[in-house]
Amino acid sequence: MNKTLLGYVPNESPIYAVHPFVKLYFMLIVSLFPMFVSAPEWNIALMLVIILFMWISKVNMETLKIYIPVAVSMGTIIFISYTVLGGTHPEFELLARFAGINFYWERIRDALVVYFRILPMIFTMVFFLNTSRERDVIVAMRSIKMPFVVTYVFAMALRAAGMVLEDFQIVRQAEKARGYDPAGKSLPYKIRQYVMYMVPLFALSLRRSEDFTNALVARGYAFTGDAARVKRADYILTHYSYKYFDYIFIALISLSFIALLVLRYGFGYFVMADSWLLRLLHGWLS
Amino acid sequence: MVEEQKSEMTAEEIWTVEEGERRSVGVIHIVITALLIGIGFVVGAFGSISFPLGFGVNFFWTGIAVQQIGAVWFGGWGVIAGAIFPFFSNAIAGTPFYVSLAYIPANAIQAFLPAWVFRRFKLDPRLKSGRDYLYLFLAMIVSSILGALWSVLVVLRSFDLLTTDSIPLFIWGWFGGNVVAGLVFNFILLKALSAVVIRTTAFVKKWWA
Amino acid sequence: MSKIIEIKDYSWKYINTRNPAIHDINLEIEEGSFIGVIGPNGAGKTTLAYSINGLIPGQYNGVKKGTVNVFGKEVEAYDTGSLQKLVGVVFSDPEAQFTAMTVEDELVFGLENIGLNLAEIQKRLDWVVELTELEPLLEKPPYEISGGQKQRVALAAVLAMMPKILILDEPTSMLDPVSRSRIFKVLARLKEEQNNTVIVIEHSLENLVPLADRMVLISEGTVALDDNTRDFFQKGDLLLDAGIYPPGVIRFFHELHRKGEYSGDYPLTVKGGAKQLRVMKGVRDKDQ
Repeated sequence: MNKTLLGYVPNESPIYAVHPFVKLYFMLIVSLFPMFVSAPEWNIALMLVIILFMWISKVNMETLKIYIPVAVSMGTIIFISYTVLGGTHPEFELLARFAGINFYWERIRDALVVYFRILPMIFTMVFFLNTSRERDVIVAMRSIKMPFVVTYVFAMALRAAGMVLEDFQIVRQAEKARGYDPAGKSLPYKIRQYVMYMVPLFALSLRRSEDFTNALVARGYAFTGDAARVKRADYILTHYSYKYFDYIFIALISLSFIALLVLRYGFGYFVMADSWLLRLLHGWLS
Repeated sequence: MVEEQKSEMTAEEIWTVEEGERRSVGVIHIVITALLIGIGFVVGAFGSISFPLGFGVNFFWTGIAVQQIGAVWFGGWGVIAGAIFPFFSNAIAGTPFYVSLAYIPANAIQAFLPAWVFRRFKLDPRLKSGRDYLYLFLAMIVSSILGALWSVLVVLRSFDLLTTDSIPLFIWGWFGGNVVAGLVFNFILLKALSAVVIRTTAFVKKWWA
Repeated sequence: MSKIIEIKDYSWKYINTRNPAIHDINLEIEEGSFIGVIGPNGAGKTTLAYSINGLIPGQYNGVKKGTVNVFGKEVEAYDTGSLQKLVGVVFSDPEAQFTAMTVEDELVFGLENIGLNLAEIQKRLDWVVELTELEPLLEKPPYEISGGQKQRVALAAVLAMMPKILILDEPTSMLDPVSRSRIFKVLARLKEEQNNTVIVIEHSLENLVPLADRMVLISEGTVALDDNTRDFFQKGDLLLDAGIYPPGVIRFFHELHRKGEYSGDYPLTVKGGAKQLRVMKGVRDKDQ
């Protein structure tokens, strides 16, 4: 198994054959697709395609469960925002009135459009995080000639995040060893407890900064001066090469995006008015 | 090298570069930026996942402490970290990529303002007087208002994620989520750790060194 | 042999401290020598190490007096990054030295920093991996390897840069005996095959003593004793008073000396000690 940013993916997954830049490109471009699509059925289809890609890549589909509460709470927020807090609009079609709240068709429609725009954007990000190892992200960034200091800060930040999580676990275990158990305590108590974690976590990280700095300087790294202007060999990139299918994927992603824009703005596809799903729903609700 | 400093510095001395004192940007600042991003990533994600309102807006955003205190201590490096780390913590919590990206100016201003106030008015990061507390509080309020306005009016409306009528809820949510969490964490962190931080080479007196 | 490190009347006081961490240090180190630096905790050994590779005063604020010359030039006179090509440091905490995503990236990081091309990087990587037996670990991330493996990686990462001077600051303090022995095996091989100048700060003397040409005792911030290894450990009482416990074989012969049972040089290794005991037994048998 290989550890990715969100979980583990088996060594034999076909996703490792794809150049990291392609994965980054996919995430950056495909995340834009829903912004140009109003008809929910197309965004649902995109979401299903991404789930299919995850399955093909042998991603552990259990990680998607983490995002179920996010999807539910987000849907609820959007729905409330568009309906309960949607205001009074006599120009809209009133479907129902309940407890003094007006439920308009246009608001429900807009809420659905927005919700199914956001979901595939989230899934695209989840797909990227699930299939990219830390090294892949660095390689992708170096492939697009991002300055080394930027990629290195990113890599160090990921290391630091891992260390903070470890420190957090150690502090909690030390407390448990002393017989402290936060279960069942009130929220204000837990918040106060959280404050008590923050101080040592910060202190540990500050002390670590000195050690890391010494290690970097000892390895000849410099941020200023001539040493900082040394041309780096980028050894990490030697392990990754573009294959013919990487170019095909990049072309497919680019052409899909162009086709989307042409169909949307040239021929009026993907708009709400043409959505059979919305028409169906409208029929049910009215 | 710096001559031995007095054991108890005044607020003015904390922010003043002494004659003969050499301060320069170094590797330590890159490391501090990375560490702040790492801490903020974890702490911010905790807040985003535990108390979500939606789209990265939270009822109680714990990341504000790292954002604002990091910038007070480490100047421009803290501002950079404060602007960037929410991008990662929001991504893990399920906020779409471009929405997270568009939040960066809001997060930058939230980090920048307290850092500017401390340097402009020569406040003591150890919070020795009522003036220090008051100015910090005001900086937190103003920066969160600006952050809320950008995030809600510019970002969330641009992406059509909200209706005009629900804007007040999200503005209050962003503002309240930051200020309440800031009140809980900022003062305690400054009080507990500033005395140590100001004596380190990482501490930034101006904006970059 | 030429002197590559010359420290004259050197003292360093960290900012916000009352007393210097080290003072009146006078030390000369010749090229190609293997030096062991020992002393109680807080004696100033690490401060001395950092002073040689430029971390002091580069990364620390304080007050410096005297001079520290490496290859005839003051450490402060070196441009940023250039002294580190000559002086490599391995720190005691393996966790704090690992800054890369994988072992291989860690080994290569320093080589990229000093501007080597891909061919040279590959060559050095192959050499150091073979020397430190890291082949099976190359693709592993830092959090998946043991403390001993991490320290081997840290050592390899510095060796790959081929510094003329190698300083190891308590490299085995966090390791188990087996891992400790592996580190010293690498150092032994290094001593045999290369002409590096090696300075090892250690508490574990069993492994250090057989390798060191010379030993330096740092106590209360200054050099208390500086001699070739054999003569160094002859001063058993001074070492014990300074809180230093020489290897068992040396302590045994020192006790024999104190009881009037032995008057020769103390053997430095168990093998040497066994040989000496056989000689002593031979003499006794002859006397009887």
